[in-house]
Amino acid sequence: MPASSPLPSPMALNIAAPNPSMFKKRSSQTLAPLASAASYLSALSQADARARHSHGRTPTATPALSLSSSITSSSEDTVLNEGDPSSHAHGFDNFDGLALPVRPPTSEQVFTTLHTEFGHCANEAYRLTSQHTQGEAVPAHVEQDPPYYILLSTYISYLILICVGHVRDFVGKRLSPGSYTHLVPRNGYAPLNSDFDSFYTRRLKTRMDECFSQPVTGVAGRTIMLLDRISPDYNHTQILTGTRTRALNISSYNYLGFAQARGGCADAVEEVIRRYGVSTCGARLEGGSSDLHTVTEALVANFVGMEDAMISSMGFATNSALIPALVGKGCLVISDELNHASIRFGTRLSGANVRMFKHNDMGSLEALLREVISQGQPKTHRPWKKILVIVEGLYSMEGTLANIPVILELKKKYKFYLFVDEAHSIGALGPHGRGVADYFNIPPRSIDILMGTFTKSFGAAGGYIAGTKSLIDRVRLRGHLGPYAEAMTPPVLTQVLASMASIMGVSPPLPPLDGGEGVVTTSGTYVHPGPAPASSLPNWLTLPYALASGTEGRTRLRRLAFNSRYLHNGLIKLGFITYGHPSSPIVPLLLFNPGKMNMFHRMMKDRKTPIIVVVVAYPATPLVTSRVRFCVSAAHTKEDVDVVLRACDEVGDVLDLKHGIGRGERWTVEKIVERAAEVAGM
Amino acid sequence: MNSTSETLEPLFNFLDTSLLTLEDTFNKLPGSAVILRYVRSSHRNDPGRTVLELILLLFAIWTLLQSRTRADRTEKHFIQFTDKEIDELVDEWTPEPLGQPLSAKEQADLASVPIIAGPNGPKPKLVSTGKTVTNLASLNFTGLAGNEHIKQRAIETLKKYGLGSCGPPGFYGTLDVHMDLERDIADFLGAESAILYSQGFSTISSVVPAFCKRGDIIVADRGVSFAIHKGIQISRSTVRWYDHNDLKSLEDVLEGVEKERRKRRGPLTRRFIITEGIFEKDGVMVDLPKLIELKYKHKFRLILDESFSFGTVGRTGRGLTELYNVPAEKVDMLVGSVAIGLCSSGGFCAGSQTVVDHQRINGPSFVFSASMPPLLSVSASEGINILRSTPSILTTLQENIRAARAILDRVDCITIPSHPASPIIHIYVRSAPTTSLHPSAAAHSPTKPSNPASVLPRDAANWDWDVETEERVLQDVVEEALAQGVMITKAKRLRGQEAVEPRPSIRLALTSALTKKETEKAVGVVKTALVKVLGRRR
Ligand SMILES: Cc1ncc(COP(=O)(O)O)c(C=O)c1O
Repeated sequence: MPASSPLPSPMALNIAAPNPSMFKKRSSQTLAPLASAASYLSALSQADARARHSHGRTPTATPALSLSSSITSSSEDTVLNEGDPSSHAHGFDNFDGLALPVRPPTSEQVFTTLHTEFGHCANEAYRLTSQHTQGEAVPAHVEQDPPYYILLSTYISYLILICVGHVRDFVGKRLSPGSYTHLVPRNGYAPLNSDFDSFYTRRLKTRMDECFSQPVTGVAGRTIMLLDRISPDYNHTQILTGTRTRALNISSYNYLGFAQARGGCADAVEEVIRRYGVSTCGARLEGGSSDLHTVTEALVANFVGMEDAMISSMGFATNSALIPALVGKGCLVISDELNHASIRFGTRLSGANVRMFKHNDMGSLEALLREVISQGQPKTHRPWKKILVIVEGLYSMEGTLANIPVILELKKKYKFYLFVDEAHSIGALGPHGRGVADYFNIPPRSIDILMGTFTKSFGAAGGYIAGTKSLIDRVRLRGHLGPYAEAMTPPVLTQVLASMASIMGVSPPLPPLDGGEGVVTTSGTYVHPGPAPASSLPNWLTLPYALASGTEGRTRLRRLAFNSRYLHNGLIKLGFITYGHPSSPIVPLLLFNPGKMNMFHRMMKDRKTPIIVVVVAYPATPLVTSRVRFCVSAAHTKEDVDVVLRACDEVGDVLDLKHGIGRGERWTVEKIVERAAEVAGM
Repeated sequence: MNSTSETLEPLFNFLDTSLLTLEDTFNKLPGSAVILRYVRSSHRNDPGRTVLELILLLFAIWTLLQSRTRADRTEKHFIQFTDKEIDELVDEWTPEPLGQPLSAKEQADLASVPIIAGPNGPKPKLVSTGKTVTNLASLNFTGLAGNEHIKQRAIETLKKYGLGSCGPPGFYGTLDVHMDLERDIADFLGAESAILYSQGFSTISSVVPAFCKRGDIIVADRGVSFAIHKGIQISRSTVRWYDHNDLKSLEDVLEGVEKERRKRRGPLTRRFIITEGIFEKDGVMVDLPKLIELKYKHKFRLILDESFSFGTVGRTGRGLTELYNVPAEKVDMLVGSVAIGLCSSGGFCAGSQTVVDHQRINGPSFVFSASMPPLLSVSASEGINILRSTPSILTTLQENIRAARAILDRVDCITIPSHPASPIIHIYVRSAPTTSLHPSAAAHSPTKPSNPASVLPRDAANWDWDVETEERVLQDVVEEALAQGVMITKAKRLRGQEAVEPRPSIRLALTSALTKKETEKAVGVVKTALVKVLGRRR
C-alpha cells in the first residue's frame, strides 16, 4: 500500500462475501462519523446477517487491476495459487497490498523469496542487531495500569457477562433442556463437563470463538490464506464458506521467516523426502534412530554452544517427558509463575516439589531461595538433593526476557541448577540468533540446561534439550521419550538442519559481504564460535550460496530485530500500553475489556489489507489484562509493520485503547512511519 | 458479544453520573463477580445455604490472600532463622550433581542402540557395520515407510505448505489438511469425529487428564503402558486397578466401585475404564466385545488405547473394532497412533463430537503445542487411502505373524505372552519349571483377589525373574541375531520409573514389507540365536 494512498477505512468490511456495495449504503446512512464502537458493532451484526443469507452465492470479484509485469507473478506463483478460487477471481491484482511489494524492485535487486511468504525488503536502514547493551540493567516487568474507568468497565463487563450467562442458563435449562443434556447426569453417566466447570467456556469463550481456531491453508509466512467461515448460530457451529482471504500474518511463531514453501530449506526437505521418505518407524532406542538424528543433534549442540543435545519430535513433550529425567523426589523445582504448561506438566510428573516465584522478579526469587534452602524439605527439614530453577528465555504471553545476568549471579551464591526454556527466544534473539545467552553475551555453558523448540524460529517441529554430554546421555536413556516416543521424522530433521546451518553459515566461510559486521564477534569474555563446519551437514545437502554463506541468515536476524523494535516502540509512541522487552518479537498490546478483543480482532481482519491477530484473555492471562499479541517476523517488510501500526492507530482510536504515554509525547502515525529507523533505535 | 456491548452502552452512561457513589463498592467488585455467581447457583439449590456459602467463600478468599503474602511461614514446621543463619545454611548446602554420569552398563546400553544409515524400512543399512540387515525392530507394520506415492504427495504438500505450521491449533495452526486427516480418521473408523495430536506418545497422556479430574474414578488395567500411567498420574483421579487383561477381575473391581459409591452415598462422578487394545508391554489383546458389555452394564466410559492395534489388525487395519466387528461409536475415546499405524507422526483420539470438542479446549498437549507439519498429515491421509484400497497389506502382515509364531511357539526356552494376531511379539526367557505360570497367563488360582487400590498384582511377590540377568541374556540374543543379519531389539524400559516393572523381553515388530519367506528366514535366525544363547545359559 503506497504511503500516500488514502487509508482504507475500517468499515471496508471484507467478510465472507466481499460485496462492497453491501456496506456502502449502510455506512453512508448511519455510520458516516464512525465514532463509536457500538455503531460499528451493529453494522457488523447486520453485515453478518447478510453474509449468512448470501452464503452460497458466488463472491463478487473486485475489478482486477493488472500488475502482471511484476516478478512475483511468475509462473511459480501461478502454480502456488492453483486451486485457489479467490486468486483466480482477483487475477493478480494487489487490491489488499499483500501480493506485491510497494516498491517494484530495481534491476540489481534479486529476490529469491516469494513476497507473500517472505517479504521483499532491500533497504539496509531497516536492520538492527539484537543485542543487550552491556552494563545496562534488564528492565523489570512493569505492569502499566490503565485509567481507572477502564478497569472499572472491565470488571463490569465480566460481571455482566457472568450474570447474563447465568440468566441464560437459568432460562435455557427450563425452556430448552435439550441443549443442556450434556451437562447433567444422564442414564447413570456423570456429565463429561460439569455445568460449573464449563461455564466460562460456554458463556464467555463461545462469544469470542470467532477469534480462535481459524482454519487456514498454505504457508504460515508473511501472509496467510484464511478459509472464510461464518457461524449461523452464535459460534456453536462454524461453517466454511468456501471462499478464502489472504491476510497479513502477524500471529504465527515464524520469527525468522523460515515458514516457506520455496527456497533452499524447502529444496533440502524435498531432497530428503526422496532419499529417506517421511517416517522413522519407532522410538529412538528401539530402532528409530538414524544417521540424520546424530548429525542434527551435533549441529544443534554446536548451535546452542553446548556439549551435546537430544532432539524430540514434539516441543511440549521435550519438557513434559524429559524434566522427570532431571529431577525427582527430594528435589525442588523453582518455577516462574508464568511458565508454560509443558513445564508444569513435566515437573508434576517428576515427583519433585514445586515452588513458584513472581514473574521475572529477582527479589522474589532470592527470597524464595533463601527460604527453601534454609528450611530444607517440608516436615523433615532434610536438605534438598538439588534445586532446579526453570525459567523461559522469552515469555510467550508477556514478551518479557528472563533476567539471566541476575539469575546467574544468584546461581553462584545459591548453587542451584538453571534450566532455560528457549522455545521462543532461540533464533529470535541475540546477534547470532542463539537465544537469550547470546543476547546478553553470556557463555551458554554457564547455564546448565538449554531447552528449545523448532516450531518457532526454524519453521519445523519438535524440540531439543542441550547440556553436558553425560547429562544428555542420561536424558536419552532415562527420559520418557527415548524408549516410547516416535523419533523425529526426516523432513523435519532436514528443515532444522538447513535453517540452522543457514543462520550459522557453513564454513569454509565465504568473505563477509558487508564488511561491517563479522560473523565472529569478540566481546567481553565469550568468543562466539564461527560457522558450522561443512562436515557437520550430510554430504547430499547443499545449500544455495545465500544460505551457506550465512548472509541470508544474518539478514533475517537483523530484519527481525528491526521489525520487533519498530513495532514495539511505534505502538508505545502511538500511545498504547504494551508489555515486554522492546527487543522481543512478541509484542503484547493491552486491551483490558473483554468485549474489545472481539472487536479488535474483527476490525483488523476486516480492513482492506486484512490483518490477523491473536487475542488472549483469561485464563491465559490475568482476568483484567486481556491483550492482543503480535508475533513479528523477519518475513515482514517495514511497510508491513507500517500497515499494522496504521491499523492499530485507527482501531485504537475507535476502541479507546491509547492509555500509555501522555498525549503530548505521542507521535502521529505518519511521523512514526517516516522516522521508522529512529523509532526502532529508541 | 454484540448483545453485551449494546447492553453496556446505556449502562456506561448511567455509570458516569453515579461514579462517585460506586467508588466505594468498586474495591470489592473483583470478588463480587465470583460471589454473585456463587450466590445465584447455590440459592437455586437451597436458599438456606446461601448465607453459609457466602461466609465460607469469604473465608476462602481471606485464607488465600493470607497465604499469598506470608507464604507458608505460618506452618507449624516453619523455623525462624536470622539472615546470618540463612547465609550459613546456604554456604553449607551442597547439592547433588544434576545428573549422575551413566554407569558402565548404561553406557553399554546406549552404545548398543542401532543407528540406521539412510532410510528406515524392511532392510536398512546400519551405521555401525555398514551392512544391510533385516529389520524386525522398527515399527513399520503396514510397510508404508518409503512408499513412493506417499513421498510424492508429501513433496506436493511441501511445495504448497512449507514444512512447519508455526502455531498451535487455536492460533492459526489449524490447516485444512489437519481437518482433512481428522475427517479421514473418523470416517475410516466409523466414529463421529476425531482430533489430531502432534505426537503419538503424548496423545494418551493428554487425553486422560482432559477428561479425568480429581475425584473422578479410573479403573485401569495393571499392564497399561507407561504413557497411560503418566496420564493417570497427572489426572489426580482415584484409580482402581484390575488384573492384567482379566475381565473377570475388571468386573469385580467395577462392582466394588459401585458398592463403594452406594455405601458412601457420594455424588455421581465420572467413571472411566482405561485399557489398551494390544498392550504395548506384552502384546496381549483385549476382548473388546466383553469389555464393551461390561462398560455398558456398569455405566463406565471407555478410553481405549489402540496405538498398537490401529493399522495392524482387522481386515483393512481399522483396529480392534474392525477385528471384532464392534462399531467404533461404542468406544467413548478411541486413541491411536498415526506414527505407528500410518508411519507418519502424531496421534489421534476419535469419539463423539462432544468428546472431541472437549479436548480442543482441555487437552494440554493439543492446546499448548504446535500442530503437526502439514506434509506429515497428508502422508497419513494417504496412508489411510492405501490401507482402504489394499487389504492385501493386512493379509500379508497377518500371514507373516502366523509364520513367525509357528516358528517361535516351538522354541521351548521362551514364553510368548502376546496374542497370536499381535504384530508385536514379546519374548520372555522361560522361568525355571519350579514356578508354575507367569502372571500374564491370566489363569492364576482363584484365591484372594489383588487389592484394587494397589497397582501391584497380588502375585508380584512371587515373581522369580531377575531383571538384570534376563536383560543381559536377552541383549546377548539381540547381538547374536544382529551378527546374523537380523535387527531386533529388547523392549526398552525406564527401570525404576515404571509403576509395575515389566518383565524383560525381546520385542519383535513384524511388517508386511517383508515377504513370508523373508520373515520366516529372519525369525529363524532369531530362533537360532535364542536357542544358542539360552542353551548356553542352562
Ligand atoms: C515456552 C514453551 N515451551 C514449549 C512449547 C511447546 O512447543 P511445541 O509447540 O513445539 O510443542 C511452547 C509452545 O508454545 C512454549 O511456548
